[in-house]
Amino acid sequence: MRSPIQIVDAATKELVEAELFDEVTVEHFLETQTEWRPVVVEAAKRMLESGASRDVLPRHFHWDWTSKEADLRILAFSFFGISAKGRLQGLMKLESAARSGRIVSQKGKPLIYVDYLETAPWNIKPLMKALGRGPEFSAVGTRLIEGAVRKSLDEGFKGRLALHSLSTSERFYLDVCGMTAVGRDPAKQNLLWCEFTPEQAETFLNEGAA
Amino acid sequence: MIMNKNRDWLVRRAEQEDGCFVSVGGLVEALEQAEQAPSNVIPFKHAFVRFLQLVRRDRKLSMEQFAKKVDIDLVELLKIETDEQYTPAIRTVHQIAEFLKIPEKKLMALAGLLRVKDAQFQNAALKFAARSKPVERLSQEEQSALEEYVKFLCER
Repeated sequence: MRSPIQIVDAATKELVEAELFDEVTVEHFLETQTEWRPVVVEAAKRMLESGASRDVLPRHFHWDWTSKEADLRILAFSFFGISAKGRLQGLMKLESAARSGRIVSQKGKPLIYVDYLETAPWNIKPLMKALGRGPEFSAVGTRLIEGAVRKSLDEGFKGRLALHSLSTSERFYLDVCGMTAVGRDPAKQNLLWCEFTPEQAETFLNEGAA
Repeated sequence: MIMNKNRDWLVRRAEQEDGCFVSVGGLVEALEQAEQAPSNVIPFKHAFVRFLQLVRRDRKLSMEQFAKKVDIDLVELLKIETDEQYTPAIRTVHQIAEFLKIPEKKLMALAGLLRVKDAQFQNAALKFAARSKPVERLSQEEQSALEEYVKFLCER
């Protein structure tokens, strides 16, 4: 699957042609290691040098996508990537089995679970600020979540979606996407379980602010 | 997959996202996994494909007849039987499990749609896949392997 999409140039606000694809390969993982990781490491180093609290450092600092290579062969998982201007802009891993809703009205109903999601470091404002420049593209996270919701619809899960958000990402999932904060999960390092009901997913897909 | 083409929606969403962190998973996840025992999850897709081929042949059904009886798409059945990289839809596996009267979760696991850490389940799948060979008619050994494996799936 390759779907033409648009994302937004963060500086000019112009729309930029991009592609959402599900044919993720080992080479994409390697690209995150060779292209993404050095930028994240350098930005985190500068943030520490400038006295930033460790709380605001990127929590995906030690993220190693290559360890997920074996998951490419596990068919309950699906992977999506976004490319633009010849570079990988975001990656996502979804699980389509064995998870169900935790919101009272959705208890026991199947959903798509976002196991991993990441955008390229040059699209993250705090990291680029540390390196003395602005982010390149905006709406990459939005497009990945849109893809996850559409996958949920395709699977017959009516848009139901859930994830464990890292603390630094909670604003995006709660305030921007409009997901429900169901609660801290002691089984998952007390990360916040965020969930879309079908109605919230519909709102996300078709309306503006949640 | 048809994505939203509305410019206003995208621009508004981009403004709200505003280059913030969106990460899911990462360091916490990695630490958690390091603390767990090594997973012995392996894909069973080969066993799933061979299983489907044998039960279909055992019933002397063509792919077209089987797809019709199970109420699944013929093209998808073709993909399942010929392309091990193909991911069967959850509904398809559900339909097959219903038709064959086999526990759905076990067939989901065999199709790679669920993770299983049961060594006995894995060994049975591997043994079955190794014992069955693609020939026109079921050999006595295949017949025996198939019956044994159906019994295993239904009893446990």
